[in-house]
Amino acid sequence: MAASLISAHPFGDAYAAKAGTLSAGARIDALRKVARTEIGRGLPGPKNEEWRFTPLNALSRVGFIPAAAADDVDVTVVPSDVPRFERAIRVVLVNGTFQPDLSDKISGIDIRPLSDSDAALGQTATANLPLVALNTAFFANGLAISAKGHQPLAVHIVSIGASGAEPVAFHPRVLVTTAPGAELTLIESHVGLPGQPYFANPVTEILIAEDARVHRYVTVTEDCDAFHIATTGVTVAARGCFAAFHLGLGGSRGEGTVRQEIHARVEGEGAQVHLNGAYAIGGGVHHDFTTVIDHVAGGALSKQMFKGVLDGKSHGVYQGRVRVAENAQQTDARQLHRALFLTAGPSVDVKPELEIAADDVQCAHGATTGSLDPDHLFFLAARGLDPETARMLLVEGFLADALEQIGDAHVREVFGRQVAGWLQRRGGAS
Amino acid sequence: MPLLEIKNLHAKVGDKEILKGISLTINGGEVHAIMGPNGTGKSTLSNVIAGRDGYDITQGEVLLDGKNLLELSADARARAGVFLAFQYPVEIPGVSTSQFLKTAINAKRRQQGKPEIDAMEFLKLVKAKIKALGIADDMIRRPLNVGFSGGEKKRAEILQMTLLEPRLAVLDETDSGLDIDALKVVSEGVNALRSPDRGFLVITHYQRLLNYIVPDHVHVMTGGRIVASGGKELAETLEAEGYAKYQAA
Repeated sequence: MAASLISAHPFGDAYAAKAGTLSAGARIDALRKVARTEIGRGLPGPKNEEWRFTPLNALSRVGFIPAAAADDVDVTVVPSDVPRFERAIRVVLVNGTFQPDLSDKISGIDIRPLSDSDAALGQTATANLPLVALNTAFFANGLAISAKGHQPLAVHIVSIGASGAEPVAFHPRVLVTTAPGAELTLIESHVGLPGQPYFANPVTEILIAEDARVHRYVTVTEDCDAFHIATTGVTVAARGCFAAFHLGLGGSRGEGTVRQEIHARVEGEGAQVHLNGAYAIGGGVHHDFTTVIDHVAGGALSKQMFKGVLDGKSHGVYQGRVRVAENAQQTDARQLHRALFLTAGPSVDVKPELEIAADDVQCAHGATTGSLDPDHLFFLAARGLDPETARMLLVEGFLADALEQIGDAHVREVFGRQVAGWLQRRGGAS
Repeated sequence: MPLLEIKNLHAKVGDKEILKGISLTINGGEVHAIMGPNGTGKSTLSNVIAGRDGYDITQGEVLLDGKNLLELSADARARAGVFLAFQYPVEIPGVSTSQFLKTAINAKRRQQGKPEIDAMEFLKLVKAKIKALGIADDMIRRPLNVGFSGGEKKRAEILQMTLLEPRLAVLDETDSGLDIDALKVVSEGVNALRSPDRGFLVITHYQRLLNYIVPDHVHVMTGGRIVASGGKELAETLEAEGYAKYQAA
């Protein structure tokens, strides 16, 4: 057991003392106490099955201080490469702390600081995960978003990471709750400023009520030597729908480690989970999509499609676990991961796991890894396309069906531009 | 100056010599057909002209307008005016036909020092051309060649040829997989492109295609060599008598 834990890590008593996390009320204090004990045992180590492709040894060796203790970080503008989305309220966090001056005026939607009265906090299936415990122990201030009815404006959270002279860690916490039949769009841009490494450890909990719908579009472009280990816990009640698209881009400025881990619990009949994503990475970037879908109610659907483009010596991971409980009959669960290597340098680890206890279900998984087809390249050359243009066209084509999963046309266009921008920056490399 | 001059061309794949001294001259406005049995090097010749990897050119020259093509990459040859119509056009998922066409047109325009084609101008141009080729409007929105029938793929090739206006068009077994109606449409598309400043090299196994694209010159190729040349009547003789007497020779 000990071998599966890293007990020497920066998040001990000294960190806690500097974090100065104030009492937030009896409930949160109780959650924190349990979480601190959990963290005291250690972070998941390389022998931990869930973490063997994304070991946290390097992270554990960095002398992180809590972002609250760094007095030399002053972010006064949102980086210009963070896109503006139409019909969206921008909410800016710097190192996990809400910045009213950089944010839009909040109106027409219920966004508040997280408080002890938010009884749903810590209620999704992720509560016992070690990185969620780390967040729970140290989140400085969180956001609670409540949706009733159809929310015409999307919430766009811009989370900026920045270190001063010392590397900082921060633990943003977002809780999304919905009334029955509500519809909400949540957009997230996770970006970083170059400099010392930092560690972003966001946790997002999303509770989807009966007949409610949440659309979530996430980009992680922390193109520096950052660690971004994000966990999302979702529960979906009957006929509810969670439709998410995650985009990970990196590799031009650093060697970041990104993990986007999503746990969805399908609790009600007729619920739907659409979990899709794409990543395009180069350099020494490590990108991990880990998903766990728990079907505990029948007649529900989960569909996953992830596609990765890998350049340089980057490393991609996809771990997809689908559990279908005995009573979750007529579940339809599908997952697909496809990776495209632009050079001989990258690698991927793919681990699909289906645990099916029900007998009347449809479950499928698929995984492929390949390089650009020489016949395609020659065809495009024979039409006058130089090798760089041909490669870009083929890579965009490879990612196209993943990006098509983005339901909102405007978001799809913006994400498409971000992918094209990545390709142009990498374009010269072959 | 001839449009295309192939002089004593020898090419190997691995240790095996496939082309054993091909010489051929095409002048502007001419259509040349190369006929021959399977495995005789016809496709190798078209691939070597277009610049596909995997062939070792051991001797000879290929000159387009006096310029040595063999020194250029495949994409530079295309921009210089070589167009290879593929026997089996590849399917490229995720890349819409229109996006591909626009990229190809712009590659050529950039070479000519022209600005990129305007979106409206592009649409107008493509719409006019697809109508003439009997191509369905929605085809250009579909991914390139994906799920296209054999006939649709070949029409798409002719559409590309029409838009790229090559100096030299090489048609590699364009008739394979075509029914008679598609063959007619494709041939009409090619015939519409015949002009004094363009040359065609039509590679085919059967004479059928040459009823529709009538050549000025016919060459018989066996064993990596051109063993006979003549006018269009040579194709009819071949159809009647087969290749046996050339292979025996």
